[in-house]
Amino acid sequence: METVIETNALTKCYHGKNAVEDLDLFVPKGSIYGFLGPNGAGKSTTMKMLLGLAKPSRGKVIILGKTMDGKNRLSVLKDTGSLIESPAYYGHLSGRDNLLLIASLKQVPEKQVDDVLRIVRLTDQQQKKVSHYSLGMKQRLGLAAALLGYPSLLLLDEPTNGLDPAGIQEMRELICTLPQKYGMTILVSSHLLAEIDQMATHVGIIDKGILIFQDRLDILHEHSRPGIRLRTTDNEMACRLLAQNGMPVQWEDDALYLNSHSDSDVLQVGHLLYSMNIGLLRIEEKQTSLEDIFLSLVGRQ
Amino acid sequence: MKALFVEYRKQRHLSVWLIPLVFLAVLFLWGMAGQRNLSDYDLAQGYSYLLYQLPLLNCILMPTMLSVIASRICDMEVKGQTWKLLFTLQNKGSFYDWKFLTEFLYLLLFCLGQLGVLLLYGILYGYTEPLPAMLFLRHLAATLTAGYAVLTLQHILSLLSTNQIIPLLVGLAGSFLGLFSEFFPSALARFVLWGYFGAFVPYGIHWNKETEEVLLIPREFPTGLFAGFCVFTILFYLLCRHIFIRKEL
Repeated sequence: METVIETNALTKCYHGKNAVEDLDLFVPKGSIYGFLGPNGAGKSTTMKMLLGLAKPSRGKVIILGKTMDGKNRLSVLKDTGSLIESPAYYGHLSGRDNLLLIASLKQVPEKQVDDVLRIVRLTDQQQKKVSHYSLGMKQRLGLAAALLGYPSLLLLDEPTNGLDPAGIQEMRELICTLPQKYGMTILVSSHLLAEIDQMATHVGIIDKGILIFQDRLDILHEHSRPGIRLRTTDNEMACRLLAQNGMPVQWEDDALYLNSHSDSDVLQVGHLLYSMNIGLLRIEEKQTSLEDIFLSLVGRQ
Repeated sequence: MKALFVEYRKQRHLSVWLIPLVFLAVLFLWGMAGQRNLSDYDLAQGYSYLLYQLPLLNCILMPTMLSVIASRICDMEVKGQTWKLLFTLQNKGSFYDWKFLTEFLYLLLFCLGQLGVLLLYGILYGYTEPLPAMLFLRHLAATLTAGYAVLTLQHILSLLSTNQIIPLLVGLAGSFLGLFSEFFPSALARFVLWGYFGAFVPYGIHWNKETEEVLLIPREFPTGLFAGFCVFTILFYLLCRHIFIRKEL
């Protein structure tokens, strides 16, 4: 699989403490890669290192097939767009003037300004001073600036931060359309699992600077397959009995978990427990949510 | 050049050019106040007398003016948090240099305007002294060099401060220090950056009580001091640039 971003043992150390440690990130081409982690996990530091805004203490960054160093940074980043933390803008200028400035720096035709204004739905407010924009409009302007030149890679750091629900929905829809329409690969960071769940095709979970999960989103969803929670009069014996009979069971928190949802398995469990005279006290269906998986991965149950 | 064009584009609606213009207007009005009842003796040394007075006035005006210019031009980057976007598009060193150049061009505009004001007085009041072109050039070089050093300080302070009140206060304090350094022992005065506006003044002064006339005594240009100050200015700029480039976002 062709990767657009690849990092190798990427590490950033501040005052002797690792903010990011041995990060091996693989962002496949054409994906929306959700970079997920609690606040302070190292997402922004990673994004900054990917853009050469922070110098890695150790490790390598390969973007669009080119290894980035201090000298070739700008040429490597030529085909990327970014929106890091908060939108950058000149408040005394209009939205259009802001984009014209960025277009000059990116050396892209000024005509593209109209296109990106239309994409982010700011055409009607383009002549307004940016200091008079709402936060949502500023975020959309930031996205428009990132889209100038239609880069192959877009890095968005918490793009929905501070937006109201309608703004979040709008931004999310916008991001989801970009890979299909313009062939972009998007790395989007967030601390909100639900948000990533609705946007991403791939996901990487970082906690305390360490990447603890990285794969397709559907693989993460597989962890959430349903099961059955059982309570019996003798859990210890029931667990042993069911395991001996090849049932996928485990004992946790004063209950048994049957990692299966099939009717035949439930029936079999009933038979086995009855045969050994073990009373069944409770039987509940259990769905592990993505939230539970995330929390268990970052160790915060 | 593209970066310079972008810098000027950023300054639309900020009217930064008004700052040197306002200070030139102050200078012009101050000069007018001293141009009343000029005797033949005064007219015969009109330019020289102004060239004696101007460096002292620059000690007061220029640190404040330069702090306002630098702050006005740098604050938009600080307020708009533009660093993270800009430094993916241009390198820090180039950004630092081009922005400084735009500020320096306002300084140049002010210095040339100052010479223009002198010429205007010469015409308006009919100075009989021949135009001292060499002294004009000396004054321009000295003011630009001292201005460059002070602007370097204001530039880095404005870029690194989240609150522009700090560089503005430094500018104001510089105006006072620069003025008072004229009364310091000369060895001590050399350590006051803002005092260099007055360090290359082309004349000393003698007040004749009997005739109540001011006698201007020409001074040798302190070439060694000027050369040393030029070297310091360049090194100081490179040091500040290095500090800015090394600072991580």
